[in-house]
Amino acid sequence: MSASETSVRRNYSLGARRAAVSIVAAWHLGFDLVGTVGTWESYRFPWLAGLAWVLYAAIGVVAGVALLRERPLGAGVWPLAVVTLVVSAMVMAACEPGDVVNAADWGWGSVGWLAMILFWPRPTWLRDLSGFLLANVVVTLAGLASAGALDARSLSKFLVVSVGAILLQAGASAGGHALDLAARWAVENSNRTAGAEAARKAADQVHADRLARYAEVRAAVAPVLTLLAEGADPADPDVRHESAVGAARLRRLIAETDDAPDPLLHTLRACAFDVERRGVVVLFLTAGTVPPLPLEVRRALVEAPIEGMARARSQARVTLVATPREVIVSVLTDAPSLPSADGSRAANVATRVEAENGGTQLWIESRWTAP
Amino acid sequence: MDREPLDRPVTLAVVEDTPVVLEGIRSWVAADPGRRVEIVASGNTVDSVLGGEGAHADVILLDLELDGVNSLPRIPELVAAGRRVVVYSVHEDDATVMAVLRAGAATFIAKTETREHCVDTIVAVGRDRPYVPPVMAGALVAADGQTSRPMLSAREREALLLWFQGMNKQSVALRMGISEATVKQYIERARVKYASTGRAAPTKTTLLARAIQDGLITADDIIEYQSLAADHHTRD
Repeated sequence: MSASETSVRRNYSLGARRAAVSIVAAWHLGFDLVGTVGTWESYRFPWLAGLAWVLYAAIGVVAGVALLRERPLGAGVWPLAVVTLVVSAMVMAACEPGDVVNAADWGWGSVGWLAMILFWPRPTWLRDLSGFLLANVVVTLAGLASAGALDARSLSKFLVVSVGAILLQAGASAGGHALDLAARWAVENSNRTAGAEAARKAADQVHADRLARYAEVRAAVAPVLTLLAEGADPADPDVRHESAVGAARLRRLIAETDDAPDPLLHTLRACAFDVERRGVVVLFLTAGTVPPLPLEVRRALVEAPIEGMARARSQARVTLVATPREVIVSVLTDAPSLPSADGSRAANVATRVEAENGGTQLWIESRWTAP
Repeated sequence: MDREPLDRPVTLAVVEDTPVVLEGIRSWVAADPGRRVEIVASGNTVDSVLGGEGAHADVILLDLELDGVNSLPRIPELVAAGRRVVVYSVHEDDATVMAVLRAGAATFIAKTETREHCVDTIVAVGRDRPYVPPVMAGALVAADGQTSRPMLSAREREALLLWFQGMNKQSVALRMGISEATVKQYIERARVKYASTGRAAPTKTTLLARAIQDGLITADDIIEYQSLAADHHTRD
């Protein structure tokens, strides 16, 4: 996942957590506090109701801070959840028996919000929150029973408030987590798009490389294929020479990308081998070790010598002299002539093609000098 | 080609274990118009050849590989005994060529070298003259380019390079715009520069003496050449 994707997810997640903590704070200040203070006179033990409010607020601060700062409560979650249930029971105990599940008994409907932020970061939040809400229902029913208020009116009120509160609390929690999930989907989606884009670029590159290779192969053999298509006689020595030249070029294209320890020598040897098979006597002499050279330099170095070798009538002397700062490839052969080379060029490579021995031989030399 | 008259043929002892190669050398020597070389002994070990007829041969032609054994370690003792050793081998990489020269051999002939070069080399060595067959020229250029203190001048290098590439001395002269004698001088002087083996050998001394006589180098040059070459030797 990239840094920006991480930040997208973090922003979504932090927004949902802030919303959850705000709901709890607003509810505790706006509803619970008003309920406690407004019915202060009607409590059997007002101090117990006040203590419950403060305890609720304390747990809220601990859980809220932990949630916003992404600090895990770890093993502390369950003890805090139990204390929260105790808050619910404390408020009930503070009320007169007739006031259980009435306005003064704010605890049983509110503790669900606190549980929501307690369990929020846990992967098992749904199961944990459901368990808590169920436990709160049991605690409240026990309170009603102990107050002797299991009458139809109280029970129906209890059911309506419970269902409403549970729906709101579980719904808010589910909504917040849905936001997180949506963020993850968005990130996955953008990853998929980026992957597809990368694959497309790679395919374009492969295609371009293929076209370039095709162009190279075409340039290598098109002239001779055209000659043959136009009805040239394959027995004609000139046509056979053109074919040999095309074959040598193809050989070079294949050999230059082989994974050989010394690619320059490998390419020259491969071409010399092909020329020898045609019955040309090739004397291949090397001196020194070839330094690592980029492909375009190797190409520019061997192109003219290979053309010369390919056009040899009966013999070719191929030499390679290499030092760390200079590589010189030369061919002395009885080839008739060499068409002006307009092929590979590379910086620091100079090629000479000259008649030798009174025009009976051709001397070709390519020289790379270290920049 | 040679300034002194040819009063007698150079006597040659051949140490070679392959009969067909020995026959080839015999036919090359026989085909030389001047009959400048005479093979007096041949055999498949150094001891058998030098223990018999070859005891006083002017030149020993030594195959670098005899029955699969490298004969390089035998070279220093032969050179110390005052013998002129010409090594020839199918292994013509520059490392092998330079190792052979450092061991004290007069020169190195690749088996790919042609007839004229082979006979010319033996004749030159028999008269203590420097002779550089083309393959050795390539090795000298490559070896010189690898050292931090090259001994060859740019012109010497160019002459050796064209010689290695297969041109005759006339062509090299034409291309470099100098006389054929100067080409010869450049190539031979390069050999003299790499003559030192780091030990005093009679053949080396005579080679240098000849080089001074022929005007290839002056007496003052010798100290410099020796120190450079000795330095080159210890670096390896």
